[in-house]
Amino acid sequence: MANRNLDAHVKRIGLQNKIATGILTCIVGFVLVLLAAIVVYILVQGAGKALSPGFLTNPSTDDVAPGILYQLFDSFYMLLITLVISVPISLGAAIFLVEYAPDNWITSAASTAIETLSSLPSIVVGMFGSLFFVVTLGWGISIIAGALALTMFNIPILVRTIQQALEDVPRSQHDAALAMGLTRWETTVNVMLPAAMPAIVTGIVISAGRVFGEAAALIFTSGSAAARLNFASTNLASPTNPFNIFRPAETLAVHIWKLKMEPTPGNDEIVWGTAAVLLVCVLLFNVLARVLGKFLARRLTAE
Amino acid sequence: MAKLMPKRSLENVGLTVTGLCIALVALVVVTLIVMVAQQGLATFLQDGVDFWSFISGGNWIPEDGRFGALPLIVGSFSVTLLSTVFALPVALGSAIFVVEVAPGFGRRVFQPLVELLVGIPSVVYGVLGLSVVNAAMRAIFGEAAGTGAGILSGAIVLAVMILPTVTTLSIDALDAVPNEYREGSYALGCTRWQTVWHVVLKSALPSLMTAVILGMTRAFGETLAVQMVIGGVERSMPTGLLDPAATLTTALTSGLSNATTGSVQYHALWSLGLLLLAMSLVFIAVIHLIGKKGAKKRG
Amino acid sequence: MQGFDISRRSFIGAFGAAAAAGLGLAGCGGQQAATEGGSAAAGSTLSGSISCSGATSFQPLVEAAANEFMDANPDVSISISAGGSGQGLSDIKDGKVQIGRSDVFAETKLDAADVEKLVDNQVAIVGMGPIVNPSVDIDDISTEQLKGIFTGEITDWSEVGGSAGTIQVINRKAGSGTRATFEDAVLAGATVPDTFKPVAEEDSSGTVVDKVSQTEGAISYVAFNYFDDSKFKALSVDGVEPTQENVESGDFNIWSYEHMYTTSDADEVTKAFIEYMLSDDVQANLVPEEGFIPLTDMQVKKDAEGNVTAA
Repeated sequence: MANRNLDAHVKRIGLQNKIATGILTCIVGFVLVLLAAIVVYILVQGAGKALSPGFLTNPSTDDVAPGILYQLFDSFYMLLITLVISVPISLGAAIFLVEYAPDNWITSAASTAIETLSSLPSIVVGMFGSLFFVVTLGWGISIIAGALALTMFNIPILVRTIQQALEDVPRSQHDAALAMGLTRWETTVNVMLPAAMPAIVTGIVISAGRVFGEAAALIFTSGSAAARLNFASTNLASPTNPFNIFRPAETLAVHIWKLKMEPTPGNDEIVWGTAAVLLVCVLLFNVLARVLGKFLARRLTAE
Repeated sequence: MAKLMPKRSLENVGLTVTGLCIALVALVVVTLIVMVAQQGLATFLQDGVDFWSFISGGNWIPEDGRFGALPLIVGSFSVTLLSTVFALPVALGSAIFVVEVAPGFGRRVFQPLVELLVGIPSVVYGVLGLSVVNAAMRAIFGEAAGTGAGILSGAIVLAVMILPTVTTLSIDALDAVPNEYREGSYALGCTRWQTVWHVVLKSALPSLMTAVILGMTRAFGETLAVQMVIGGVERSMPTGLLDPAATLTTALTSGLSNATTGSVQYHALWSLGLLLLAMSLVFIAVIHLIGKKGAKKRG
Repeated sequence: MQGFDISRRSFIGAFGAAAAAGLGLAGCGGQQAATEGGSAAAGSTLSGSISCSGATSFQPLVEAAANEFMDANPDVSISISAGGSGQGLSDIKDGKVQIGRSDVFAETKLDAADVEKLVDNQVAIVGMGPIVNPSVDIDDISTEQLKGIFTGEITDWSEVGGSAGTIQVINRKAGSGTRATFEDAVLAGATVPDTFKPVAEEDSSGTVVDKVSQTEGAISYVAFNYFDDSKFKALSVDGVEPTQENVESGDFNIWSYEHMYTTSDADEVTKAFIEYMLSDDVQANLVPEEGFIPLTDMQVKKDAEGNVTAA
């Protein structure tokens, strides 16, 4: 009797196990299909337009074949400015938290501040930017205002990845360097940072992908006006100079948002084309992050 | 520690530079909170809108001077909770699969692919939602769905958006469960499912809850994707899942373009921003609370 | 220079003689710049930059004009951003931009003291009309019926002479200029009850067009320049077709001015651009090309309170 019960029990839990594994496999299959469907749908809808002649090389004002040249340039330029500002600050903040942070309220207040920044809705960052950078500091609707808004939510992501990367360096390397009489600063610069570099670079590139697609924080800071650029301009203060950080700019993501709001004929195709370009850029960032991380890791360990 | 002067000054330089970086970040956050609070509180202090009627009023009709944010609050919470309900089983299932069933495939192929979903910009999700999800709603529910825009559409789009966040964090949570627990369970003759259900999930619970809260934080703050698919009706309370509605974030985006600076409408929008800010602080507090409880349980 | 005439008169109507003196001066400055503006399009040495933000409804028109202006004046840069009438008016009031676009009178959104510092340049007329999904089988609707539909009293197409089916009302966001114009003309002061809920309140004409064309039984309203027979059907109101001629004659009364507000101390470039917008070149070509109605042929005019009088 007891034996039969046990048999039945074993059978039952065996079956449960099989069913559970089956369901889990289905879920994973569903997620993969969903991912593939999203990517393929966007690419199929947009590829025709994205590959059409002039789309990547014409300004959006072109009468015959409006393109996204300036939006593409502005997206990368905005990203560059954002990284130039946010990487050093995040690096410093992360080093402080890992190496120097005294265990007191100041440190915990600082890390709470970073945490707050990470959970802020991007529209709130955009609103703040539109009031503080645009009006209070008087920079107007400009690339720098947009880049600073983007910086505000890139910093928490970067600080966390860099912190993680530094903490993942084996403790023994850190202690050995200190024991040899190096200061914390020297230890950080000469031992910790090189060892953590692959992970840091990967983190920066992945965060770049997220910054690249942000729109809500930019609508009210860098604006949604298609730029009109003159690449021959040498006057940095001119609003047509592509590198002037005080001119308004429109990124790819904002361009999609704006076009969706303005129903001129042919807009839908441009929306999908732009979405496909944006998606490919973001995918490239992901691939680049992995390749770069691997490459750096190999070089640094080989030395 | 070296006692040489240059070394000490070098150390001081390092301390100062990195300390300044973190001080700068903290300063920016404080400025943000102060400015949002200043503008947001002006609605109540300067324009004389009653705080209680702001929170509990059921009609957001700014041009009539009626500022009842409850429909927006309800909208925000319903899309957030609903999207979590949709995303959680899928995220958790995938995480269990990755950690317990097929770690090789999961780690090397599945996880990187899921992380790609994080990178897809929210406007792109919005455009997708507008053309696919809304159309599907109309096809399934017919006339009752109206234009197809509504809470359900918003929740579906958000569920896809938070899926990678919750999945990745759940994978980390399950991964952090010590292998000895599993070995002990298997040694007792438990099947994999029993081990997962009774041992792994239980001990990973606090970190799983953190994963869920972080996903909710993202859903709560998401703006443009929701705006395109939710219908944007702010004037009265939504009464069903197919009802068009608005959230705090969508009311902000559409309102900011129509309000003139310094007006009551403008201040009221900042009050919505202040509510959003307060909510993200609450989410952080909850995460800390869970962390503390988890630590107590373990230690 | 009829554009100026309208602008100055409506200003007097709203603010009396004191303000008119100020505007008179601005008007003179502007008129002087007009000759310059005319030659500006043919190439001159104007330089500087203009930011222009605000209403999205006539952004394509301003963009098209700006592109031609910039082609003629390579040293001038005009950046045009979206936002909405409210943002355009705040931006010009706060000095963030040189031109604020609005499709409503500034008086409806700003304090009188702030309005006084602005110059109202009306650059075009825009007509708006009700549109329905192609599945709806009526072609004409009365103002009274429209009022019923947009206040939630009429909910089925059979009540207005069509075949039975739920009316899916798609509105614009409160505060949008298009909605303000439509409600002024249609609701005639009636308020929308709290219990009435449209199936969507959209931020832009773009989404309205998409949704009306996709949703069976849908009704909404957009400006003439968005009319597109392949996607939806425009209704005539009280038997009057939504056409340019009917707006000009005053028979079709859902229309508004497109305003480009500047400050009274606007710089040379800004004035030149506004003059260019009002020049025959733009009024006779670009304005109708982009689906707007030039000021020149209007036989009626509206003031800030919405009163229509013969021009």
